[in-house]
Amino acid sequence: MSKVVEISPTTRHEGHSKLVLKVNDQGIIETGNWCSITPVRGVEKLAIGKTPEQVPKIASRVCGICPIAHNLAATEAMEASIKCEIPKDALMLRHILQLANRCHSIALHDILILPDLYLPGTETKINPFTAEEPVRTVAKRIQRLREIGQTIGQIAGGEAIHPSNTRVGGMYRNCSELAKIKMYDLAKEGLALAKPQMDLMIAILRNYQAREHVDVGGMKVALPKTLGYHNQGYLATHAFYGSSSLDECPSWDINRFKEVRPWDWYMGEMEVSLEEPKYPIGGTTKLGTKVNPQMEACTGIPMYDGQPVEVGPRARLAVYKGYDEKGTVGQNIAREMEYTDCFYEMIDCIDALNPNGKVVADYIPDGDGSLGWASNEAPRGTDVHITRVKDWKVQYFSMLVPTTWNFATCSAALTGAPWQLAEVIMRGYDPCVSCATHMIVIDEENRIVAQKLIE
Amino acid sequence: MLYPEIVIAGCGNPLFADDGFGPAVVEELQKLSLPDNIGVVDAGLGGPHFIFTLLNPEETKRLIIIDIADFGAEPGSIAKFRIEDLPPGSYRDAHSWDLTEPLERIKDQIDITVIGCQPKRVTDPDMEIGISDEVSQAIPKTVRIVLDMIGVDYGTTRQCLQEERQRGTPETCGSTENR
Repeated sequence: MSKVVEISPTTRHEGHSKLVLKVNDQGIIETGNWCSITPVRGVEKLAIGKTPEQVPKIASRVCGICPIAHNLAATEAMEASIKCEIPKDALMLRHILQLANRCHSIALHDILILPDLYLPGTETKINPFTAEEPVRTVAKRIQRLREIGQTIGQIAGGEAIHPSNTRVGGMYRNCSELAKIKMYDLAKEGLALAKPQMDLMIAILRNYQAREHVDVGGMKVALPKTLGYHNQGYLATHAFYGSSSLDECPSWDINRFKEVRPWDWYMGEMEVSLEEPKYPIGGTTKLGTKVNPQMEACTGIPMYDGQPVEVGPRARLAVYKGYDEKGTVGQNIAREMEYTDCFYEMIDCIDALNPNGKVVADYIPDGDGSLGWASNEAPRGTDVHITRVKDWKVQYFSMLVPTTWNFATCSAALTGAPWQLAEVIMRGYDPCVSCATHMIVIDEENRIVAQKLIE
Repeated sequence: MLYPEIVIAGCGNPLFADDGFGPAVVEELQKLSLPDNIGVVDAGLGGPHFIFTLLNPEETKRLIIIDIADFGAEPGSIAKFRIEDLPPGSYRDAHSWDLTEPLERIKDQIDITVIGCQPKRVTDPDMEIGISDEVSQAIPKTVRIVLDMIGVDYGTTRQCLQEERQRGTPETCGSTENR
């Protein structure tokens, strides 16, 4: 008979989410629901009537970890609506900023997943904060990669966290020749560090994949070879950066997108019937607790061609580079493979950047109310912003953030796994939950209606 | 250097009314010319995973966090806190490494002070832009407190603070001012 177990809150990712899992007698997940329990609402409404300069700043505040992606996607959605083409050197600065952010993010994710993994050749799980070798050297390398990512981002974007240099029509300032050289030196140092870091992480992930069993809170859990497999599709709009043109990027067509309500997708009210106090950290939810993912989930379910899709590093590699490894390990390896690609691309962009070139468009139209969209390939996936700007006022604004895409896909990927490994599967998506709340629902008649589930 | 000897981080989200206090103070501080060993950062919601987990104690000796805090005072009151004063979860890394406070890891090597302002209105989860008058009035005072802490005096900083302290209690840096 099926039992219900709940892991709440999930850990080692941004924001608050939970896993509600219906499992069989062997503890294998029959149906898994991963949902956001962080209500954030009102950004779409708040944006209306603001200027196109204000909205990207608002968008960048929606999340603590993706401000750069949101800032860029919102800015470029505005530019798409008003039909403003920015100078090449402004675009190069944005590319550099975005890639620098991704390098920081991959390094951060390494720290988050290492505690699930083993030092190859041992039965020791990795504590990235230990002072002992060889982990200490690896941790220092990870920190240096984060520092490099943030420093390059600060130079290109004005600030390391909330970029102040981006503006509708381009960038406020180009960088100096000296700053270009500094970015170049840092990118080369980053590449030299990223290569061994990628190799090490892939070796550690392969070691994990080859295990018959893994330890979770003292429980010996059989590791399935199909951990995290799903049959949903992939969505990516660019190998590195993003797009705001259907001609340039035929893989994202707003007409193929729909969003359904969480109660159409998630399980209804149930009672927790399996409790495991040994599960890290602090045990699972108490027996008898009522759970109701339909009502607790704070996100809509976006569909592309009628199905949830996966976004993120594997999707980018699958769509643009023919990568075909499925499952959680394949997903984490894809992320590692982006490390060096990122630095190579960044070096190319820095090479192409002319510090004397103009970075603001000559003419910035006020907008005629046309629908404009822009996707930005954030570290954790496709971040799509949609807007209408008329007479320099925003009339409509919507954000489809990466983890919202992945909630339903990851939920499908949980099926068939031991429940104790559900968080390992979830972490493969490098979730960012706090901004992943989106309550604009396109109903059956394609009318846009605001649905607020939790009032 | 990304994070120098003294780091001043404004935390909070301007989309939730008074929660924008930290970034607003940082905006004011960024208008000033400060010594090179001081870095002022608009951390937004990203403090834990962009800054606190990246500070190198060999470089950074002092961290000043500016944020809102509910300590039961009148809105706009300001108080200084040490890490030990904070309830669990105050600065839990949003990426929650292992449910350990990221500041706990560095507090023995880096001198950490949190300057908290009592908010009047935090609208989370509903978004609203705009800081209340009471909290707005606390911004210049916080700037003066920070300048005093880092030893920068533009001629009026210490005198103003001295007057404020005489009117308020030392613990709340003059919390009565806004009553």
